[in-house]
Amino acid sequence: MTATVAVPHRRRRPDGVRIALTVFSTLVFVFLFLPIVFVIAHSFTDSNAWLVWDGFSTRWYGRLFDNENLKQVIRNSLKVAFFSTIIATVLGTLAGVALARRPGKWTTPFLVIVFLILVTPEIVDAIGFLIWFVEIGSVFSDGIGPFTGGEVRLWVGQSLFSSAVVTLIVRARLAGFDESLEEAAADLGATPARVFRQITLPLIFPAVLAGALLAFTFSLDNTIIASFVSISGSSTLPVYIFSSVRSVPKPDIGAAATLMFALTIVALALVALVLRRSGESTEQVAATLTGG
Amino acid sequence: MTTATVAAASPTRRRRWVPRFALSVPSWVWYLFFFVIPIGYIVFYSFGYKPGLLEGGGTIATDKLSLANYGDAFDETFLTVFRRTLEVAVLGTLLCLLIAFPLSYWLATKVAPKWRGLLLALVIVPFWTSFLVRTLAWRIVLAQDGFLSNLLVDVGIRDSQLSLLDTRTAVQIGVVYNYLPLMIFPLFVALDRLDPALREASKDLGAGRLKTFTQVTVPLAMPGLVAGLLLVFIPLAGDYITASVLGGAAGNMAGALVATQFLQNQNWALGSAMAIVLIGTILVALLVAAALGLLGRTLIRRRRSVEVVVST
Repeated sequence: MTATVAVPHRRRRPDGVRIALTVFSTLVFVFLFLPIVFVIAHSFTDSNAWLVWDGFSTRWYGRLFDNENLKQVIRNSLKVAFFSTIIATVLGTLAGVALARRPGKWTTPFLVIVFLILVTPEIVDAIGFLIWFVEIGSVFSDGIGPFTGGEVRLWVGQSLFSSAVVTLIVRARLAGFDESLEEAAADLGATPARVFRQITLPLIFPAVLAGALLAFTFSLDNTIIASFVSISGSSTLPVYIFSSVRSVPKPDIGAAATLMFALTIVALALVALVLRRSGESTEQVAATLTGG
Repeated sequence: MTTATVAAASPTRRRRWVPRFALSVPSWVWYLFFFVIPIGYIVFYSFGYKPGLLEGGGTIATDKLSLANYGDAFDETFLTVFRRTLEVAVLGTLLCLLIAFPLSYWLATKVAPKWRGLLLALVIVPFWTSFLVRTLAWRIVLAQDGFLSNLLVDVGIRDSQLSLLDTRTAVQIGVVYNYLPLMIFPLFVALDRLDPALREASKDLGAGRLKTFTQVTVPLAMPGLVAGLLLVFIPLAGDYITASVLGGAAGNMAGALVATQFLQNQNWALGSAMAIVLIGTILVALLVAAALGLLGRTLIRRRRSVEVVVST
């Protein structure tokens, strides 16, 4: 009733608010993409400085593969991101399931800690890690097995924040489902481990995947904690870029950034596709990807 | 409820069940070891001092504890930088809100649902690119002899080239850019969940557009709004990367002072005290904001209740 009355009424006059909002939003999108367009464009500069445009050339993409330092830090970054993602995802998934399915007196203090982790400025975490790693030494100075102490520090340092994020995403996802499926499986004689593997895990899979992707990107992106805890040889791409900012950044950084950007888009698209397949609506996919 | 009854009915399974918080034990241990203890150390070190060369040198000594670092932390340069940090953070957060609200509102209510997913993905994309790279990119965008600068002069919008780099304005643009998506996401989610029927009802009951917006849409979007403010303000206040890339000398932020004490001056005691002051400032700012918010709400409620009395 309301709709049939309201629609013709609103159609009659041109909607100024709608037009203004559309124009404004378009401008915001321009603002959002302006720097990205420039990053990609300038990775094709012929100049020796990334920030200066001097004609078109693809030579910096070739140079990228000759720069041993840059290759090394990219490798370090990917390796650290891989391990810290595993840590964050495992911790976050377990804790998220526990929060959604086994709440109790422990929930409030736990959530307080998670919240504090989320709101602590990164610089504070960074100095805390530095102090603590120096204090306890051992694996954080000598490393374990093939991994150096610097790497282990980075795994730990970069998984803290993401594990809290994964915890909340998984909890939110599982809280949306009734526990009856798990109970039914248990009543039919499934062991807790089997219930977890065959019922709980498939239910929370989209959240785990989105959380892992977030954790991976956070880790690739992390500058502050990485510059405090990394030891020479284990430093990562953002630390390398940040130190080059003080001098003149070379365009191969832009080339590396463009390739990473392409990689991120592919990863995002893949995850969105997987989530779509598992029956999520576009908005749910977007909400999950942004941790909502 | 159901869990309890099922568990009680099958005591065999109950016996095998471990404590309720068992799955969270790894996280408990991890957070205790890598969050609670390190933060505890910062507090502890903030009362220590940097040993002189005669005392063996080094970064920290804690045999004599005092509040001296907090005195040093409040010297004039530090206070200037702190004030600037707060100004940049507060202004940046408000600008993010001003830009994000119309955009989120448009996305949630005006855009056809089939485009909504794509547009949201477009908001996500910049957020997923490297923080440092997109900050650095603004040095290209705002460059004095850059494409944009020359374009603005050629088109006649500006008389002279841009000279924004290494100024406070550049820092402000950079932080708004970097933290904008964090404001858009929660606002969009809140506005998207809002039932359009509520706005229709408000209109049908005679409320104008403005009144519907201020009395129905904004109050219902409040949880998203608050989440957005927190998500933007807290990391922004601690961020010094954006400012040091774009601000040059004007870009010294509180976080950078802490970093300098640790990485260059090797004075961990003073650095720790500064970090504690930084956390304290953020908390106080949040409390003030919360108090203002509550005060505003009470005032509005009071005014509205008067309206009702008058109209009846």
